[in-house]
Amino acid sequence: MKRGGPVVRWLELQLLVVPATAALVGLLTIYLARVGTTQWTWSDLTVSLIFIAVLGLTSLWLGILGLRGDQLVLPIVAMLACLGLLLSQRLSPTVGGGGLWASLSQRQLAYLLLAFAVLWITVAALRRLEWIKRFKYTWALGASALTLFTMLFGTDLGSGARLWLDLGPITVQPGEIVKVLLVFFLASYLDDYRELLTSSYRIGPLSLPPIPYLIPLVVMWGIAVLAIVLQNDLGNALLLYGVFLVMLYAASGRGYYVGGGLLAFAGAVIVALRLFPRVQQRIQIWLNPWSDPTGLGMQPVQADLAFAHGHIFGSGWGFGYPQAIPVVATDYAFAAIGEELGSFGAIALVALYLVLILRGSFIALRIRNGFVRVLTVGLVTVLGLQTIIILGGNVRLLPLTGITLPFVSAGGSSLITNFFIVGLLLRASEQARG
Amino acid sequence: MVWRVVPAAAFLASLCVLAYGIVRTDDRTDPTWFALLLVAGVLWGTALAPEIRRLARRRGHPLLHVALVLTLGFGLVTVQILRVQLFDRERILARTSDPTSGVIDVRRYALERSITRGKILLSDGSVIAEDKLENGRRVRRYLTSAAYLAGYYSPGLYGAAGLEARYDADLSGRTATTWQAWLDGVLHRRRSGNDIVLTIDPRLQELGQSLLGDRSGGIVLLDADTGAVLALVTAPAFDPNLLSVPLGASADEVRRAASYLDRLREDGRGPLLLRPIQGLYVPGSTFKTITAAAALQSGVATPDTVYRDDGALVIDSRVIIEQNRPDTTRVSYTLREAYGYSLNVVYAQVGLALGASRLEETARAAGLGERIPFDLRVAVSRLTDSPDFLNAPAGLAETAFGQGQLLVTPLQMALVVTGVVRDGTLPEPYLVQETRDAAGAVVWHREPRVWRRAFDQETARALHELMTWSVEHGYAQAARIPGVTVGGKTGTAEVGERAPHAWFIGFAERDDRRVVVSVVVEHGGSGAQVALPIGRTLLAAAVGTG
Repeated sequence: MKRGGPVVRWLELQLLVVPATAALVGLLTIYLARVGTTQWTWSDLTVSLIFIAVLGLTSLWLGILGLRGDQLVLPIVAMLACLGLLLSQRLSPTVGGGGLWASLSQRQLAYLLLAFAVLWITVAALRRLEWIKRFKYTWALGASALTLFTMLFGTDLGSGARLWLDLGPITVQPGEIVKVLLVFFLASYLDDYRELLTSSYRIGPLSLPPIPYLIPLVVMWGIAVLAIVLQNDLGNALLLYGVFLVMLYAASGRGYYVGGGLLAFAGAVIVALRLFPRVQQRIQIWLNPWSDPTGLGMQPVQADLAFAHGHIFGSGWGFGYPQAIPVVATDYAFAAIGEELGSFGAIALVALYLVLILRGSFIALRIRNGFVRVLTVGLVTVLGLQTIIILGGNVRLLPLTGITLPFVSAGGSSLITNFFIVGLLLRASEQARG
Repeated sequence: MVWRVVPAAAFLASLCVLAYGIVRTDDRTDPTWFALLLVAGVLWGTALAPEIRRLARRRGHPLLHVALVLTLGFGLVTVQILRVQLFDRERILARTSDPTSGVIDVRRYALERSITRGKILLSDGSVIAEDKLENGRRVRRYLTSAAYLAGYYSPGLYGAAGLEARYDADLSGRTATTWQAWLDGVLHRRRSGNDIVLTIDPRLQELGQSLLGDRSGGIVLLDADTGAVLALVTAPAFDPNLLSVPLGASADEVRRAASYLDRLREDGRGPLLLRPIQGLYVPGSTFKTITAAAALQSGVATPDTVYRDDGALVIDSRVIIEQNRPDTTRVSYTLREAYGYSLNVVYAQVGLALGASRLEETARAAGLGERIPFDLRVAVSRLTDSPDFLNAPAGLAETAFGQGQLLVTPLQMALVVTGVVRDGTLPEPYLVQETRDAAGAVVWHREPRVWRRAFDQETARALHELMTWSVEHGYAQAARIPGVTVGGKTGTAEVGERAPHAWFIGFAERDDRRVVVSVVVEHGGSGAQVALPIGRTLLAAAVGTG
């Protein structure tokens, strides 16, 4: 597509009215529910007004940059971020020892602004995504170094896994950016060996994938197993491995690679179950939290109660008791929404993610360039799988894992990384055609 | 054409599979449920397959497959949401209502705090249970000595018991179905539960309590025409104020209430038992009413049938000694006289003449062995413990005059008397008259209902005559009330070594008011001397000549 001058992204601007309205009404509801009166001033809505201003400016900035790609992704993401912002305002526990940015809600607003800044910069700086491919080993090295560094010097913020790096005033979760770097590397690598797509070879009755596929398959499997064993991080292992399998499948079109990979993963999990009581205990709590409803099972039991009380319409913003769930802001954001917005809200949220993922998939479908296509699929899968794993954990479809709900959960690292992915998606959508 | 049907069929099949799973499994992590989810996922995949195939002709199919798998994942998450919020909801909430689980459901507490619990009132409007604000806390307070009728409400420790538990939905406002109630809920306004009004007449209740004093026993006074309970007295009772622990109570308060309940439980006299409906006693001679009913109804005897009573009767190797004859030189008595003088030897013969099955039939018709429908849990009265007890002549004879393995509640005996007064039908007894909303408007009003027919009209009239004869000429003469038709039967129930239970059952009729009383004083001694005066005073007060 030809580069053009600045444009106004009208569809996007119009759609952004929805999250803007939701931000105003939602924040007002939360504020009024808390004070118990109907008196308010515009200054009580500062947070939402800032959010709305940033939304409008973002759309305008994308227009100034001449971005002619997708206009649905940003409104959807804005709606999700709006829910996350409202939720943090809602929960608003004080974090740390006070100060200006002490409360969760203020932090979340700051992270959100930072995340939008990252989006602006990404879209402005990365005009051609093919550029990423040139540094594929840099990404691989960076990802490995970050992972190793976290394993060695990381701190455990209470989840039983060393996933955080303590940088004085803030802590960051390098795992988030590692996911994106890994997608960069895998997309480049798989694109390089695309021509070997059909050259599988046989050993006896077995038809093995070609060596360039086999090696990363084994390496990724090893990394996933290490993540489970060393970091007690089932969620991220599942996510990284899943993303890898999806990208392998997208690049090769061979279903049995995925099947074999899944079997290998299942085997590893079964062995881990046998060897590590910690993993076994987690599965036990998933299957039957009522065996220990006030101890290990407290989180899932309280989440069940939150969902159950939410019923169809929910208790309303500010009228539920999501704080009863331990670590609700990061682990159980979805249960909080299920309680306060009910089945309607919860399913609407799932639908938003689904539309986002499908939109991303169809962007990828229409990209001709093999590398950008696999890259886009990888990025979409990072968002999609992550969402399914954490939503599944919240509703006990899967064991609960400590990964975050994209755009909604409290947490800066995840928010910034996800907006980075959105920036890349928006750029990729420019190459979608046909 | 077939390809058009398959997706729809697959989708419908998936819904059936999920519905089956929700019905069959208890939890969302049941392995069977997961298997069914997998089946549903595959069915959805089948339903979407034609569309995917159509798209794949133009586009790369691996990407479509990825999108499909992610979509199915979101679909399964949605199923789980619907299940937890719509179908498993009651199950989850029921699980936390068990206080021993230790699970704290703050939302339930919050809900309770946002609602002013309804009051429990006696028939004249005097309050026995209400919510009060004490130091910013909502506390359930119980007033008057009749408060034990309310049971207790103790959200901070034991939940609820008695009427507080049975009528919890009304008291906590959960049954409100009006638009106003719905709107109040949506707007988070403060709501009030409904008040419940009892049939208890505080004057009669207090009188009953003072008559019983500190003796263990139970009294029930019924309006024979409706089945309304006018007084329901138990002694010893408990103080529900000491059991009512509000939310947010201190550990000390909780401990005090817990130790009070432990003491009540360990107290051998059973203060937690609501004796008139939950106490089971040997009925003694009062049971002769039922034996007589069986004999009259089956035609085995008339009130004038003459029996021989020469002071003792030997059945198998069991000797029944007669102590009740008014004149030891007289050996023949009619059935009527034997009722009034409470002659065991005569009633043993009546029982033997009746046989087990006819006695059982009448006893069952009168409600023994059945759970009496009532606003509170009632103990089931029984004719025998073991089914073949009545097959032995000695057992049958003992049962016929009210000993044997018989165990009955005072309420059961009162109902038998209502049958006598009402030409044979028994009413459904009730304690709750109506429910009212916070503004005082009646929400629900009890319509008196007939529970069952105990005996036919002629039998009832004959029994009526037997019971009045007993008061006019028999041992219950002390129950006479001038200007009032009174019938009654005393009982002195042997219970092993200790003093016998004193019983009195009776009725009083004046103008169009008919009331029935049943009194038990545990180990009180003679029915005529101990229980009868209590019953008479209550009957007199109830018909307005007290």
